[in-house]
Amino acid sequence: MSELQYVGKSVLRKDGPQKVTGKATYTVDVRLPGMLVGRILRSPHPHARILNIDTSAAERVPGVKAVITGRDSLGIHHAFVESARRYPPDQLALAIDKVRFIGEEVAAVAAVDSYAAEEALDLIRVEYEPLPAVFDPIEAMQPDAPEIHPTNPKVREPFRNIGGKTESAWGDVELGFSQSDYVAEDRFESHLRTHGYLEPQATVASYEPGGTLNVWTSSQGTFIKRAKLARTLDLPLSAIRVHKAYVGGAFGGKIDLFSHEYCAALLSMKASRAVKIVASREEIFTAYRHGQPLIIELKTGVKSDGTIMAQQIKVINNSGAYRGSGIVVVFLSWGFAMLPYRLLNLKYEGYAVYTNNPIRAPQRGHGAPQMRFAIESQLDMIAEELKLDPIEIRLKNARQPHEQLPNGDNVHNCGLPDCIRDAADHTQFLQKYGHGRKGASRNGRFRRGIGMGVSAYFGGALIYPSSSSVIVKMNDDGTVTMLTGALDIGQGAETILSQIVAEELKVPIDEVHVIAADTETTPVDIGAWISGGAYVSGNAAREAASQVRRKLLDVAGDELEANVADLVVEDKSIFVSGSPDSRLTYEQLVAACIRKNRGDPVIGEGHWRTMRDEPNPPSLATAKGRWSENYAFDAQVAEVEVDTETGLVRLLRAVTAHDCGFPINPLLVEGQIDGQVSMALGHALMEEVLMKDGRTINPSWLDYHMPTIHNMAVSEYIDVVTESYESGRPYRTKEVGEGYVSGILAAIANAIYDAIGVRLYTTPFTPEKILKGLAEHRSLSHDHR
Amino acid sequence: MRLPRFQPLQPKSIEEAAEFLGKYGGVAEIMAGGTDLFPRIKYGVASPEVVITLRKLSRESQIAIQDGFLSIDSVTTLSQVIRSELVREHAPLLADAALAVGSHQIRNMGTLGGNLCLESRCTYYNQSHAFQFVEPCFKRGGEICYHVPKGKRCWAVFAGDTVPALMCLGAEVEIKTATDSRRVSIDQLYTGNPLRPLAISPTEIVSKILLPKPSARTGWAFAKFSLRGGLEFAGLSVAVLLEMMDDGLTCTGGRMVVGSVSSQPLRAKKAEKALPGKQLSNDLFYEIAEMISEDVKPFSHHGYSASYLKKCLKIQVKDALTLASQRVPQSP
Amino acid sequence: MKTLISLSVNGELHELAVAPQATLLEVLREQLDLTGAKEGCGTGECGTCTVLADGQPILSCLTLAIDCEGTEITTIEGLAQGDNLTPVQQAFLEKGAVQCGFCTPGMVLAVTALLRESPNPSDQEIKKALEGNLCRCTGYNKIVEAVNEAAERSSSTNA
Repeated sequence: MSELQYVGKSVLRKDGPQKVTGKATYTVDVRLPGMLVGRILRSPHPHARILNIDTSAAERVPGVKAVITGRDSLGIHHAFVESARRYPPDQLALAIDKVRFIGEEVAAVAAVDSYAAEEALDLIRVEYEPLPAVFDPIEAMQPDAPEIHPTNPKVREPFRNIGGKTESAWGDVELGFSQSDYVAEDRFESHLRTHGYLEPQATVASYEPGGTLNVWTSSQGTFIKRAKLARTLDLPLSAIRVHKAYVGGAFGGKIDLFSHEYCAALLSMKASRAVKIVASREEIFTAYRHGQPLIIELKTGVKSDGTIMAQQIKVINNSGAYRGSGIVVVFLSWGFAMLPYRLLNLKYEGYAVYTNNPIRAPQRGHGAPQMRFAIESQLDMIAEELKLDPIEIRLKNARQPHEQLPNGDNVHNCGLPDCIRDAADHTQFLQKYGHGRKGASRNGRFRRGIGMGVSAYFGGALIYPSSSSVIVKMNDDGTVTMLTGALDIGQGAETILSQIVAEELKVPIDEVHVIAADTETTPVDIGAWISGGAYVSGNAAREAASQVRRKLLDVAGDELEANVADLVVEDKSIFVSGSPDSRLTYEQLVAACIRKNRGDPVIGEGHWRTMRDEPNPPSLATAKGRWSENYAFDAQVAEVEVDTETGLVRLLRAVTAHDCGFPINPLLVEGQIDGQVSMALGHALMEEVLMKDGRTINPSWLDYHMPTIHNMAVSEYIDVVTESYESGRPYRTKEVGEGYVSGILAAIANAIYDAIGVRLYTTPFTPEKILKGLAEHRSLSHDHR
Repeated sequence: MRLPRFQPLQPKSIEEAAEFLGKYGGVAEIMAGGTDLFPRIKYGVASPEVVITLRKLSRESQIAIQDGFLSIDSVTTLSQVIRSELVREHAPLLADAALAVGSHQIRNMGTLGGNLCLESRCTYYNQSHAFQFVEPCFKRGGEICYHVPKGKRCWAVFAGDTVPALMCLGAEVEIKTATDSRRVSIDQLYTGNPLRPLAISPTEIVSKILLPKPSARTGWAFAKFSLRGGLEFAGLSVAVLLEMMDDGLTCTGGRMVVGSVSSQPLRAKKAEKALPGKQLSNDLFYEIAEMISEDVKPFSHHGYSASYLKKCLKIQVKDALTLASQRVPQSP
Repeated sequence: MKTLISLSVNGELHELAVAPQATLLEVLREQLDLTGAKEGCGTGECGTCTVLADGQPILSCLTLAIDCEGTEITTIEGLAQGDNLTPVQQAFLEKGAVQCGFCTPGMVLAVTALLRESPNPSDQEIKKALEGNLCRCTGYNKIVEAVNEAAERSSSTNA
């Protein structure tokens, strides 16, 4: 790795200058001639039949150019995950017969300005017949609950409102428990939180009659948006072009088809003008997708030396009014349960339950934060019971390199044991652990604690579009243009792909021009929501650049009358080893190629798919089948300070020891870690979407407490490098965009216990819960005297 | 989010603003910094036909000593208050409270007068009602309360941070109409009625805030408690002012005000009576904090429960008194 | 009926016909094509609409355009001179303080104003100056590093 010039270096972001000068164009900044403003009418009822919609008065408002309801759509359903038999799509872009959550989209208008649009919205008359509604998932599962959708026919239990179930088992849990020296049984709840991306949801759609539907939309991948728009509008894929726009954050909340995207398109088709719809921040806090809340019942049996013998897990997900990604999160939670530690006996059940709440979505970690919080909290409790320390019990069970997973995957170069050891050493964990509760400051007002959380994530998995392709083409002057479908949502996709191309071709990064994320001009990409940017799109870029490199070497070999094996590639030129003065520049080589190879200007293509030998993705329902060939592991430590009088908790320091493979861009990796530490502390200590009967009580950043600069924590990084990059060879590097929320969340929970002896089973760890726990603790210790 | 249509008027002075109010009284609203009125207009809970904007007046606002009082024009921005040497010298408690408001940008726009006249707040009220909480609550002219279902009254909270400080400082407020002027103690500005928290009529405008000369030897502190420690409104706030004898140890009296827990800031009058003649000590602070916590009945609001606020209040008062005592200038 | 106003933005005077209730943010974005200032919330809680008015950070989403006559408005587009980024912009790039970039214009302007007033700000001063600018991507760590870097750079050039 030492001779690498670009990969592994903290190269500055390619899109940085655009962003710091305000020139970056986000969807909200796109303006087209004659563009209309769109607005959406939303249901005030959590569950109701639509009896009638009268739009006649709205249509007559001066300046209104189009009004649509569900009846104007083709009534084609869509969903986050669709399969013909098990998961037929259940969402409509505009409701037709029924609404199932407050805020559900019922109609849309396009007008010359927002005043006309809102006037029109006020004049749309909808007749509803309210139906009984249910908001709590346990209640929704009861046989007498109002039916939101029929339970998935593959689910055998007599529960109502089940969107889907994941069931997985191996070994024999009962035997495992009977062989255990200690069995712990606990229930954990992770609450409703939300993404809080700064750029609102927005779409501009412009339909040219007989031609193309041009779309700009704030998303996490243009190809999946094109696919879903094509299906619901019944247009061929080639008739829709989703253009690149910068994205102001997404974190899982902008993946699948949103109603406003469909509405902008359909309104544009009706009005024959461009239409822009931008969601207000309140709409985003109330009617858009929040993260998945999970209830986790966890039973774990261990030997007295800490070896995990068996685990029985039940997960209940409150997925909201439609199936959405609910069935994915209960599958992924299984994965996040079985990845980090050896687990010989498992019984897992996860239910995605319908309720009359807005649809929930993946949120950074997608099940890992919730599951690791549960497992890591319980593991610490088990360790204390067995008089083991939190580090040794984790080392005892941690996956070792090249371990086979029960689903057939392999962890390959797993660096988890090193992560655990390094994080513990760096923070002097064992010297500090236990002092908050027992040490000199145990009666002080401010008490400190330390805790660890271990987690794992996957890099790239099979879900549409499943693969990435990249095209690299030489320009006459020796510079390079890369065409990639990858979308930069802040994580630095364009930069790291440029680094890889620059490395393969020995071209300065500034001379790698990027054209990205345009469904018409760039090849397909898996999207920025499956943690595959570095591994899948990166390898595709490498392959494309390698192909270009081979072509250039072949031409050079010809021109220089030498064997390719004797050639050196350096600084946009190629020469015979030992004769750098007789080098041929890329400019010369490209010209030669065109002359001699029937006009071939030197273009390379590269493709990559995770698990190339596996035709199918795993079953969400049974978890059977290969899932990923690229697992990332981490151990994170949190140091907290608890104010025992106010109950406020501060995250003082977060240390992330991560098995990142190798960092393609260390500076970008650090930024990802920092952001996830911030999200974890928000999740743990301050963020909560408060809802009552399907309505959001706190739809603003004043009352949804996303971290401000006051709340930042020191964030330190330990790279456990387990892979390497070698020019011309496929590499495995791991994901860094999603896996580091979970460990910190779990570590904070454990650190709070270390500080004050209060074990919290539900997030967020509010001041009230802390004070309540302290009061109970005091009365308990009173009793023990 | 666009502002709905209205007619803005740009008065060239407070007096002219008062004249405009005289003319448009019931259908006009005053906009000082815009940080309170505009969000409410965007949410649709305020819909004035006329907006009298004082933004340009802030550029010429005055802070000066006048007849022994520190006189602050109501259109002075909070940032100007914080930076003013006169304020730092004569009323540092006010500067601290102003520094706690919102964010730097909000402090650059928001005015002292505007902070005094903040509309009372509730999460169910301060949002749009297109499809959520559609039926109007008490504060929106309706007959229900969402915060306390089946409740018979409104529970909106007055959250202006500078007011507890101004009450401790014994501030007076000059209020003008087109033809008249009156001056009241700031305590009299608040009704305790969440539906109409201010004792100001639609044709009146606050023109000046006047602070009397401070006592020779005081200790003071302002504490604002919130989950994040910045940006948001207070869960609760506490302002204390201790007046001391020359020995710097014995208290002659003081004022303590709790803000953001009720429909008006609350003077802790009973606890204030316990101050004269006492030596400052931790025990005294605990005793006072206990008294105030007993006396004050906080509303639950913005996600904080009443019982939590009661507990937290004790700690904030104790901390504030401790800090105030540390600031008492010691005898030479 | 629209009102005619003169607005000075980034050193240029513009004669504009604006709706009386138009905010400065709308006018900048839609009439002057200066889309660097963003609407993240419209109600004053996120700071993405921050611009400088006579050098002071304000929220343009809560400011009427008509109230800005006679004020010098600076937007993010008014900072760099061609390819020459300011020390603050350069520091943001070098320290990795930019990810999705949506908060960046407002943040850079707020930091620029801070450093003009307080060239060597304390940790507390930095926090008070930036508490109204939300960022979801960076956790603020590298933003603070950028502020300190820019402060150091400016002081060494002035030395």
